[in-house]
Amino acid sequence: MPADAEATLPALIEAVKSAIPNDRKAAIEKRGEAAKKAFAEARERTKQAAALGLGCEPDQHGAPGAWRPGAQIKDLDWSLVASSGNVSNWPNRLWPMEKHYHWLGASGGYGVGYGAPASVGAALANRDLGRFSVSIQSDGDLMYAPGVLWTAAKHKIPLLAVMHNNRGYHQEVMHVQRLSNFRNRVASLGGDMGPVGTSIENPDIEYHKLAESMGWWAKGPIKDPDQLGAVIKEAVAVVKSGQPALVNVWTQPR
Amino acid sequence: MRFVRVSGLAALAAGLVLGCGGALAASAEKGKTAYVQHGCWQCHGFQGQGGVTGPKLAPEPMPLETFTAFVRTSNRAMPPYMEAILSNEDLADIHAYLETIPKAPDPKGIPLLNQ
Repeated sequence: MPADAEATLPALIEAVKSAIPNDRKAAIEKRGEAAKKAFAEARERTKQAAALGLGCEPDQHGAPGAWRPGAQIKDLDWSLVASSGNVSNWPNRLWPMEKHYHWLGASGGYGVGYGAPASVGAALANRDLGRFSVSIQSDGDLMYAPGVLWTAAKHKIPLLAVMHNNRGYHQEVMHVQRLSNFRNRVASLGGDMGPVGTSIENPDIEYHKLAESMGWWAKGPIKDPDQLGAVIKEAVAVVKSGQPALVNVWTQPR
Repeated sequence: MRFVRVSGLAALAAGLVLGCGGALAASAEKGKTAYVQHGCWQCHGFQGQGGVTGPKLAPEPMPLETFTAFVRTSNRAMPPYMEAILSNEDLADIHAYLETIPKAPDPKGIPLLNQ
């Protein structure tokens, strides 16, 4: 019979705490202080790195994961249900991950196309638990099973999807470049063609319209990071009312 | 377009300094174009800010000689760019572009990072 980690862990933690001998508690506390200091320093370095992207040109700004769940959802019982594709782990590096459901993990494999259906499924479970679901949704990932957007609207599954729209199947963009280097070939075809078959530009996909067409509240494309906070605030209000909402954000590649 | 203004001024300054000696000045403007054409942005970001896929390149890039040696001989995650596909002139221009990238603003002044 499989164990239920969520039900067991709180009791296990308390049992371990009470079993710690008094003479070890001070040493553990000292080690904890060092770890807290290292964590705070790493957080500052991450914020500096995020500032490099967020502080620069519109159209080329930082990943939406480099947005802290601040004023908009800080008082909510939030859960990051998917951070699909590769977004430089911004949410994991910047968001205060303090509860087991703050980050539900990845696909377990390479999981192409995992993000959208996984986040809708997790949001369904979270709805019944009263949790606020948010996902960082990659554009290439959403191209695999966009029909799940309709499912979320049909069944009134509240989910905030903030898109990491880098206009490409970017893992492959980089892969083609690497192989071209190995073989002394030029990868770029020029203009918006990118390496063959890997960019998603011209026409740019208007994911906000795609979501709208399936019954979501949606806005975009957001190209200026200064606009992001206000739009997310609107989207949060929609999700709190029980509907799914999507914000289509143009981002840096990673 | 704050960045374009900054890089334009830096390129002008570089031209004035290097132009006097008769040496071929690297062009930050051309370098910005080459940075995109040769795919550097894919792993290092448009501002060379880096990510999990590639290290930070700017601001304050490594010296041109070190930069060139790494690009030509790398055997790490990034395979080398040989001269057949990336000329020495383009490489110098890319380095000039990286040198013009300003330091990041203070994160405390960015609402998205502090709300």
